[in-house]
Amino acid sequence: MADSANAPKPSSSVKLVLLGEAAVGKSSLVLRFVNNDFQENKEPTIGAAFLTQKCNLPTRTIKFEIWDTAGQERFASLAPMYYRNAQAALVVYDLTKPTSLVKAKHWVAELQRQASPGIVIALVGNKLDLTNDGAGSGAAESGDDSGDARKITTEEAKTYAEEEGLLFFETSAKTGYNVTEVFTAIANAIPETSLKSARGPGASHAAGRTEEQRVNLNGPRDPNAKEGCAC
Amino acid sequence: MAVESLSDTLWDVVICGTGLSQSLLALSLSRSGKNILHIDPNEYYGGAEAAFSLQEAEKWAASVSTPEAQAPSLFKSASITKPENVEDLSFPRAYSLALAPQLIYARSELLSQLVSSRAYRQVDFLAVGSFFIVKSPSAPSEPRTLVRIPSTREDVFSTSAISVKAKRGLMKFLKFVVDFDNPENSEKWKPHAQNPLFEFLQDQFKMDTELQTYIITLTLSLDGRIETKEGLAIIHRHLSSMGVYGPGFAAIYPKWGGISEIAQVSCRAGAVGGAVYMLGTGIKGTSAADDGMELELTSGDKVKTRMLVRGYEDGTRDAGISRLVAVIGSPLKFLFEAVVEGAPIPGVAIVAFPAGSLTTAAGNASASPVYVFAHSSDTGECPTGQSVLYLTAPATPDSKELLDKALEFFLSSVGETPVPQSLYHVYYEQYAGMTPPASGTDDLAISFPAPSFSLSFDDTTLDPVRGVWKRVMGETAIETDYMAFPDREGAADDDIYD
Ligand SMILES: Nc1nc2c(ncn2[C@@H]2O[C@H](COP(=O)(O)OP(=O)(O)OP(=O)(O)O)[C@@H](O)[C@H]2O)c(=O)[nH]1
Ligand SMILES: [Mg+2]
Repeated sequence: MADSANAPKPSSSVKLVLLGEAAVGKSSLVLRFVNNDFQENKEPTIGAAFLTQKCNLPTRTIKFEIWDTAGQERFASLAPMYYRNAQAALVVYDLTKPTSLVKAKHWVAELQRQASPGIVIALVGNKLDLTNDGAGSGAAESGDDSGDARKITTEEAKTYAEEEGLLFFETSAKTGYNVTEVFTAIANAIPETSLKSARGPGASHAAGRTEEQRVNLNGPRDPNAKEGCAC
Repeated sequence: MAVESLSDTLWDVVICGTGLSQSLLALSLSRSGKNILHIDPNEYYGGAEAAFSLQEAEKWAASVSTPEAQAPSLFKSASITKPENVEDLSFPRAYSLALAPQLIYARSELLSQLVSSRAYRQVDFLAVGSFFIVKSPSAPSEPRTLVRIPSTREDVFSTSAISVKAKRGLMKFLKFVVDFDNPENSEKWKPHAQNPLFEFLQDQFKMDTELQTYIITLTLSLDGRIETKEGLAIIHRHLSSMGVYGPGFAAIYPKWGGISEIAQVSCRAGAVGGAVYMLGTGIKGTSAADDGMELELTSGDKVKTRMLVRGYEDGTRDAGISRLVAVIGSPLKFLFEAVVEGAPIPGVAIVAFPAGSLTTAAGNASASPVYVFAHSSDTGECPTGQSVLYLTAPATPDSKELLDKALEFFLSSVGETPVPQSLYHVYYEQYAGMTPPASGTDDLAISFPAPSFSLSFDDTTLDPVRGVWKRVMGETAIETDYMAFPDREGAADDDIYD
């Protein structure tokens, strides 16, 4: 349903991949973003999961095609298939687990080496509810005596993100804090030019129909198309 | 599926190699609920059908550079050359060069399977546009020119490239092919079924040499001597595929490296279905075990499986093709024009040098055609402003020289000044697969044939995959379930504006 009476906004798809150590909350972030839901004991991802969600910006609609990868080491071989041609990556670590930032840095380095040159990368420290900064009640339930399970300071991660030119957020998939913000920031950071099929002058009038040259296999396939002639 | 360690699991199938056949098998079996371990000795996906960045291409070429194989491989004699001024070359990763680019006809069973398995949603397809031949000049001083082949009846009607008499002949032939299987028409070609198509065209349709080359080019016959029966079937496929997915084109090409992309998309879908993936891991040894066989992997792991499926990994040295991939510093725009109202802009164009139209320095004329597949930057295989050419000819002692010549002549025939420059070349030879040596576990180990040389996707490739699926599914196999899967969550709400 259009909320404006005018022509529909241009819409484009963005391929996004989530990477990060096992159990940092990748699937939980996606579940929050896509279904606004949270599961206390989420199953580890096997292989990978695919989901989509739209993000409405003032001037355009972005349809995220999200590849949620499994963090367990035995699935590591999969990653190249997912970040190949991806326009965005969300590299997630757990604020309460130092090794997870080390792993995140490995992923960032691999993306910078192997992924598309223009890929937008966001570094995300998750489980903020388990820290004193947790926007919500999580800290009290974390079982940590000090009430603060944080092991990675905001400064440390933020400095690193700035050096590497990454977007940076601390989130809680549990409370939902900052989750939509991450995806909106990514949507805004994707250069307009990489959304259009760069096709030279003739096609520039079609800015609003970014996928017009793609052949649609599900379109009005003509079962009677025959002999290649209109006679 | 529970999370267990590699060696504690009894796998239904271990699949080795990530070329198209193995990847489609992984997709079909994992989504049909089977426990799949999918490995590849290479550090990249796609096997003999991979697509490479320049860096990956260099690493690969170094591993198959000698005429005699260092390790089992379908490839040999690979070399990379970068002409002098390579400043125009972009980042290595801005390229995705396909080892085995194939176009896919709209009527191909592969597309039906991609649609029914919903994997097609992850692939961007581009239209394959016009077919051209490079016409040799009547006087040696004149330049070669490109002539677009009229391949539909409308096309034939409107072209100014051929005489009225030739038009009539061509029309008659196209009409014949449309119904080539009806009794009356069969009578005409069946006696010549095994003779070369060009002879049939000459004798039965009185076509001159030029018209014959038009038709032969449409068949993409590697040696130019395709048999009448097969050739007619291919032309029929061309005509009946025209317009199926939109006006003005008969075939499509997957963005980002063709078949390689379909293999990767299949692996991704396989992973979503629960298959476990390991790159850089091959099979060191096999032995019989209680429930099937035990495999020793190069990683040192030992795994148990009910069945092993792999591909022919070693090439014969008697039948092969030579390929030359060239990155060109021009978009070669005029090749990629939609010629029919409402048609999408094509990402691929096809050009042929007919047999006999090239000559080596030693004076040997080319016995076979040289095909040039031109890919625009829309394929994602090169940056904007450039294009990639894929040249193919049967491997002979002369083939490398002929491909270099074809490239040079092609670039000077496109009518651009200055003549577009080639920025990067990869040359290699690809051989047919050799039946793997027998082992003690043959009834549980199946090998898929090596990829065919065909320049268009060959549907018979799909048969062994379906066969293995049926065998693994056993009693529970329901033929109509093959590759028929529902959409994954959220994938179906296609581009509806909120
Ligand atoms: N307190 C808290 N727990 C979280 C948060 N996000 C995820 N979790 C929990 O952390 C555990 C792991 O979350 P997942 O989303 O499955 O982690 P993952 O990164 O997808 O893990 P893999 O799929 O194995 O790579 C689950 O029990 C979640 O409930 C969060 O923001 N706060
Ligand atoms: Mg997960």
